[in-house]
Amino acid sequence: MPATPARTIKTATDGKIVIGVGDLAVSNEPSTHLITYALGSCIGVTIYDPVAKVGGMLHFMLPSSKTNEEKAKNQPAMFANTGVPLLFKGTYDLGAKKERLVVCAAGGAEVLADDGHFKVGSRNRTILRKLFWKNDILVIGEDTGGSISRTLKLCMADGTVSVSTKGKEQVLWPT
Amino acid sequence: MADVSKILKGINKLPALPASAGRIITMMSDKHVDLGEIADIVRLDEALSIAVLHYGNSVHYGRPGREFDLRECLVRLGGDMMMKIVLQQQVGTLMERGGEAFGLRRGALWRGALGGAFAADHLGKRHSGSDSELCFLCGMLRDIGKLALDMHYGAEYVDRVAKHLEPSMTFTEAERSAFGTDHAEVGAELALRWQLPSRIADAIRFHHDPPAHEPEHDALFDIVHAADILCLWAGLAIGQDGLQYKLVPHVRKSLGLSRRDAEVEIAMLWSKVQEVEESMDMTTNERAA
Repeated sequence: MPATPARTIKTATDGKIVIGVGDLAVSNEPSTHLITYALGSCIGVTIYDPVAKVGGMLHFMLPSSKTNEEKAKNQPAMFANTGVPLLFKGTYDLGAKKERLVVCAAGGAEVLADDGHFKVGSRNRTILRKLFWKNDILVIGEDTGGSISRTLKLCMADGTVSVSTKGKEQVLWPT
Repeated sequence: MADVSKILKGINKLPALPASAGRIITMMSDKHVDLGEIADIVRLDEALSIAVLHYGNSVHYGRPGREFDLRECLVRLGGDMMMKIVLQQQVGTLMERGGEAFGLRRGALWRGALGGAFAADHLGKRHSGSDSELCFLCGMLRDIGKLALDMHYGAEYVDRVAKHLEPSMTFTEAERSAFGTDHAEVGAELALRWQLPSRIADAIRFHHDPPAHEPEHDALFDIVHAADILCLWAGLAIGQDGLQYKLVPHVRKSLGLSRRDAEVEIAMLWSKVQEVEESMDMTTNERAA
């Protein structure tokens, strides 16, 4: 597993930390929220420890770093298999405990009429499930698939996770 | 319904394509590169000069430890690269604030244009007989119709289309159902009004639905379509239209595009876009996707 880059802890601007594509951030600042916009076939993952009030968000683009090993070294959050371990480690470094973590995911959409050859969104969803299953992690809230764009938000004060699509917001956690 | 004439009338309100960009597009179309003329365009524009210096001194083009001046950078980068830099800057000025009609965040339309340009350029280089510079240009301009719709409808456009959108329907089908036209057709008309060659206008027109059969089939249209889909997968320029577009079946075979090829392209696109944004002093993460 690669070392946690210092850049996983970021400074909020106007109370929010924007997670770009192929990016991640962790925080223990209760006045902040983490947000990522326009999730398409990419997947946004949030984790939050309600006791330590530590959380993080990842926006990964592709399932496996085998696509571009060099790129994965410089930008591990671009890939599920390198980004997810970094996200978890980043929150552990701030005091989170695995057994208390609330995990949510959104995104993984598909273009229409993909003949089954590419399935970028579906492959992203599959590898995420495999990663979590191997590590005995349960996804509590999920809004994935379809062909829609989503915005994912994690409120650091209480761990509320919400997804917005076309102006409508739904809460993934608490359920 | 059938509001085409109103939309096209609204196109007249658009800012004109910068003259220097028009000149560069003509050079690309005619395959006649005049480095002296490109240098004159660059010298008169401070932002362009800065971009050229950035590229000329980047590790990709320069030797570490030595800084090249503007004249040296122009020579080192060469005509083809210079044309691309001028286009990036000039078209960027036009598109940077666009995309409201599709619910895009500021900068996303431009980022999608850049991604489309790079993806089409790469696909063009892989496909024998294709002109990668022309692919670059058409990939960049494919969504200019969204600019016209911004000016005519603003955010109201996507809301009205959404009322016609069904889950199995493409967004362009819903646009046609709501307005009698779509952003690809509007973009093609805008390109013709900018007096761009008809093949470029057709590449814009067909970027969501390239014809599969002769005589309408053109590999350029397939490439621009594939570039558009790659941008969606890369999360570039996703608005409220989401991924509600189809991947046209014949394109994968005609371009010989494998899953691995696609994923390598997707991983590359963001790096290329970030490099340009840095050269133009635009911050990617602030307006991230």
